[in-house]
Amino acid sequence: MNYARYLTRLSSSRQHSAIRVLTSIVQENPSIITMAGGMPNPQTFPIQEVSLKLKNGKRIDLDEKATRIALQYSGTKGLPPLVNMLTELQCRIHNPPTYKAEGHPGPLDLIVTSGSQDGLCKVFESMVNPDDKVLVEHPTYSGTLAIVKPLTSKAIPVESDIDGLNPASLRQALSPWSPSDAKRPGSDIPKVLYLVPNGGNPTGAGLTLDRKKEIYKIAQDYNLIIMEDDPYFYLQFTKPYVPSFLSMDTDGRVVRFDSFSKLVSSGMRLGFVTGPKPLLERLELHMQCSVMHASGLSQMALYKVLEDWGIEGFLKHAETTAELYKTKRDQCLAIMEKHLKGLAEWTIPSGGMFVWVKLHVEDSHKLITVRAREKGVLFVPGSVFMMDSSKPSPYIRASYSNCTEEQMDTAFQRLAEILQEG
Amino acid sequence: MAYTRFLTERSLKRKKNYVRRMLEIVVNASIVQENPSIITMAGGMPNPQTFPIQEVSLKLKNGKRIDLDEKATRIALQYSGTKGLPPLVNMLTELQCRIHNPPTYKAEGHPGPLDLIVTSGSQDGLCKVFESMVNPDDKVLVEHPTYSGTLAIVKPLTSKAIPVESDIDGLNPASLRQALSPWSPSDAKRPGSDIPKVLYLVPNGGNPTGAGLTLDRKKEIYKIAQDYNLIIMEDDPYFYLQFTKPYVPSFLSMDTDGRVVRFDSFSKLVSSGMRLGFVTGPKPLLERLELHMQCSVMHASGLSQMALYKVLEDWGIEGFLKHAETTAELYKTKRDQCLAIMEKHLKGLAEWTIPSGGMFVWVKLHVEDSHKLITVRAREKGVLFVPGSVFMMDSSKPSPYIRASYSNCTEEQMDTAFQRLAEILQEG
Repeated sequence: MNYARYLTRLSSSRQHSAIRVLTSIVQENPSIITMAGGMPNPQTFPIQEVSLKLKNGKRIDLDEKATRIALQYSGTKGLPPLVNMLTELQCRIHNPPTYKAEGHPGPLDLIVTSGSQDGLCKVFESMVNPDDKVLVEHPTYSGTLAIVKPLTSKAIPVESDIDGLNPASLRQALSPWSPSDAKRPGSDIPKVLYLVPNGGNPTGAGLTLDRKKEIYKIAQDYNLIIMEDDPYFYLQFTKPYVPSFLSMDTDGRVVRFDSFSKLVSSGMRLGFVTGPKPLLERLELHMQCSVMHASGLSQMALYKVLEDWGIEGFLKHAETTAELYKTKRDQCLAIMEKHLKGLAEWTIPSGGMFVWVKLHVEDSHKLITVRAREKGVLFVPGSVFMMDSSKPSPYIRASYSNCTEEQMDTAFQRLAEILQEG
Repeated sequence: MAYTRFLTERSLKRKKNYVRRMLEIVVNASIVQENPSIITMAGGMPNPQTFPIQEVSLKLKNGKRIDLDEKATRIALQYSGTKGLPPLVNMLTELQCRIHNPPTYKAEGHPGPLDLIVTSGSQDGLCKVFESMVNPDDKVLVEHPTYSGTLAIVKPLTSKAIPVESDIDGLNPASLRQALSPWSPSDAKRPGSDIPKVLYLVPNGGNPTGAGLTLDRKKEIYKIAQDYNLIIMEDDPYFYLQFTKPYVPSFLSMDTDGRVVRFDSFSKLVSSGMRLGFVTGPKPLLERLELHMQCSVMHASGLSQMALYKVLEDWGIEGFLKHAETTAELYKTKRDQCLAIMEKHLKGLAEWTIPSGGMFVWVKLHVEDSHKLITVRAREKGVLFVPGSVFMMDSSKPSPYIRASYSNCTEEQMDTAFQRLAEILQEG
């Protein structure tokens, strides 16, 4: 793998901070007296200790030392104990082929980010030049469109269906080029493929293992980087989990995005990116001059919770969480049967939080943003997830994550009334 | 002010995200009322039932306990608005009004009314504002020498940044006029002109110089910015670490035009690791920052924001200002210790200016280039400083300077550090 080919000129020009290098010298030589770092004096920081009360009744205390670490500047890639723990998790779940791969051009690296979204944004920014053609699953997460559309007007939508991104659509999208174009400098062949393999947003679809293998093969043929955006991996409704792209990544062409937003906390802003070091280093350098590192307080709180759980406890927690969402999915589907029969169609989500509903109308936009809102119920019009949001779309996305059965019942009843009004 | 001229094409393409907008309607409603009447199946809000943390408790150094109850914890742990938790945004706006009395606050009909956004550290605000305004190879005016974190943002963005020299009183207006001399003020109205549009500076406790701008200089610089229609990026993390009172008025306080984007930080006052800063400036520019945040960090950590809010609420504005004073006094004491020790060891071997605020002394060694001396010889002797080249636009040029930080050393450590440095300098 030649990683330089994927990077924008801007990203390639980022350099390691000399001061950060000095900081690492201090870590290696604790006897050194440093007047180098711009670390504020923590004496005047008002918070001394932090205590967490968990829902299971347990108390977890961040003692003075842990609190001090949490409240001071720390390393860009994340607090080392947390990074180690997450690396252990990745090895346990995905057994990545490039982990500790001697001599591999892209050995596995891992970085804690301020939410997986920040990792996503920075990785896209590191690889997409103005008007680069980038392959994006379609329909897709609106947060991704918000990143991609300002970067390039030439993103190529790749259609997905009930089983996720369709390999045939991917081949079709790549048909203007031949695999040898990937070696031709100056070719405008796409270099990046973005997809959400589980609990797709907005479709709720999950890629099968066969499809993943086929897509990986296509990525090899055309030398694509696969951005595996997988915040709902642990929210799959059937077991065992479908193996990830990371787990089959012998080449080191997968950049994987994990999130704690659905499992531990969305507001603490914690995710992690796993992938080949030459690419992740670019993310790290951009972080160095922007967010600097994910909130130390969030990282420490997360670390203490994970330490308390252990990996087994974490996996158990993930299962419990998935069960909750599965229950809510089933409630939602039953209520939709009750109210929307004959008025709409939908596919059954295999994971995540969303149902993708096709209304029997030409365009859902005004219906949702005006009429449904007047009736006190909010859905998302399908156009929000389309590359071209001006095109009419009959779809809506419904999120069942946070509603009670009563609320869902009211919501779909009101929607049905609007649809029946015509 | 016409703000569109300052923004890159990419930044102008950013659009409000429908889902985030809906989320903010619901989240803000629920913060205010217990049972909002809107039923939303719109937001991609995860179900907080399975979030393991229920309550958070802070023990302060003064012995007090501050509890984030279930509701506050729930808010902290869930997605929230891009601009920041509303009670915190309100409190910070109150602080800005109290300290800076910004002319564009609630200014009816002004094209750039004041806006405020909480960021994941002021550095993230800085990075995104630069990214929103600097096209490849734009000429941007940057104080010199400058904070290395700023060089790390600017140098990948453009190879045509223009250094503007500073001295013992901060950025020198004469240097600024000199830097702008290839252009005339009318170029600012000429489309296609390559006249610089942005000026970046650190007005207090400059990094690395420790210098502070005088009020007269600020007024002169603001006038130049008006003449040439520049945006002033006022990067001011050491504002509350000024060593003399009263505080020198900020650029924000004199900003009738709405051309100042000001960056405040809690990193030296409350916590660096929690990643909390805030940006204040004209809405048309801050909106671009907000939209970039929406698709990246989304918002500053809710846990950090809530913890900060509770601490600020406990202090009140008066308590906060008192705390700032105590913090500045600590740094002033350390500065004085540092200067005395430097007198003792470095007399005749180096010169330095007296920092008016912040954490750093800028020392000119009697050598041609400090780089190898610091990175090799001082390191071997077990002492670290930062070579001056790190703060230069062109880091390959030899520099006799070093930056010394006195924030975190005891007197004994400083004494040993400068003694060792003196030995190296005497060895020649």
